[in-house]
Amino acid sequence: MRLDEAEMAALMQAAQDGDAVAYARLLDGIVPLIRQAVACRWTGIEEPDDLVQDVLLSLHQVRRTYDPNRPFVPWLMAIAQHRLADAQRRHARRAKGEVAVEALPETFSDEDAKEPIDRLADAETLSRAMADLPPRQRQAVELLRLKEMSLKEASEASGMSIAALKVSMHRALKSLRAALSK
Amino acid sequence: MRTKDLIAILANDSRSPVHRLPSPSVRLIKWLAVSAPWIALVVAVMHLRPDLGTKLAEPRWLLEQGAALATAVTAGMAALCAGVPGRPRWERWLAAGPVLVWLGTLGLGCVQDWIQSGPVGVSLQPDWECLPGIVLVGLVPGVVMVALLRRLAPLVPVVSVGLGGLSAAALADFALRLFHTQDAGAMVLVWQVGTVALLSAASAAIGRHILRWRHLRAG
Repeated sequence: MRLDEAEMAALMQAAQDGDAVAYARLLDGIVPLIRQAVACRWTGIEEPDDLVQDVLLSLHQVRRTYDPNRPFVPWLMAIAQHRLADAQRRHARRAKGEVAVEALPETFSDEDAKEPIDRLADAETLSRAMADLPPRQRQAVELLRLKEMSLKEASEASGMSIAALKVSMHRALKSLRAALSK
Repeated sequence: MRTKDLIAILANDSRSPVHRLPSPSVRLIKWLAVSAPWIALVVAVMHLRPDLGTKLAEPRWLLEQGAALATAVTAGMAALCAGVPGRPRWERWLAAGPVLVWLGTLGLGCVQDWIQSGPVGVSLQPDWECLPGIVLVGLVPGVVMVALLRRLAPLVPVVSVGLGGLSAAALADFALRLFHTQDAGAMVLVWQVGTVALLSAASAAIGRHILRWRHLRAG
């Protein structure tokens, strides 16, 4: 429902006199105007409809300030622009303390908190580095890290001694680190 | 909440008529009408300066007082216009001319004092009566101005309250000079106009706390 300036002014005047039907009609009619103003200027992440509602609430609060002898649209747009500017300021304040990310990190941001294997984001590179390991070292990694066996279980499964497993694991991690940091 | 539901709630809340805001000039007259008796009372209690008759014949004193009063009136008008959505922005600058005239006449006064008395004419002494005097006289005009501003839209709270503070403080300085015998240009400029500037800045600083949108955000 499109309203012209004269209709909006007349409806607002009636609304100030307590005509709830006229007020509802006016608010319905001005929503597209406010939406347009919001769409042109709003760059934040808040829902545009929240801002439209904010403008409607603000208009309601200060409806006594409308002077029927003056045009309605500049009155409405002054409220909309100021509320939008307030929202932009709010958004800028919030954004200052935030770091924008497209996807949340799946590992710890602190390097020291990561296991060497956690740093390996690329599974393909990891598979290649694993394939290049000597058989005993590869077996140690598979049993202790991938299958998460204890040293005792891994020793029983592989037939290697616990000491030999530890040495193989140590050498394997060293080789993987070297291969992946290239 | 959907926008349609909000409109229904707002329409339901608007069944009783609202009192339309009178024009800024009518509100300004109301402000002056409430402030004038208070100023008259304070001036009467403090006693009019004994040399007022002589001062009323001095163009320089009259010009300074006229500029202070014009600053009070135009700043008050600007403050009352700034809170009405859709009014032209230039109205916020209404007080710029009178402020410049006020500062100009006081500056010219300093030059005249220098020519007449040399460096002694522009020397500064402590005059701690000005700050409490202006605060006391400006109390009622300031409170009334805030009450009037709170009935408006908080579009530019810092500007509105800053201008409101300027109007109350300038009016208070106008009244102060009716009972306070300090007319040296440099002293008036530093102690009295300095106090007016300080109070205006303090008002502007608390503007956002005094004027704010009171509704809860939709959501």
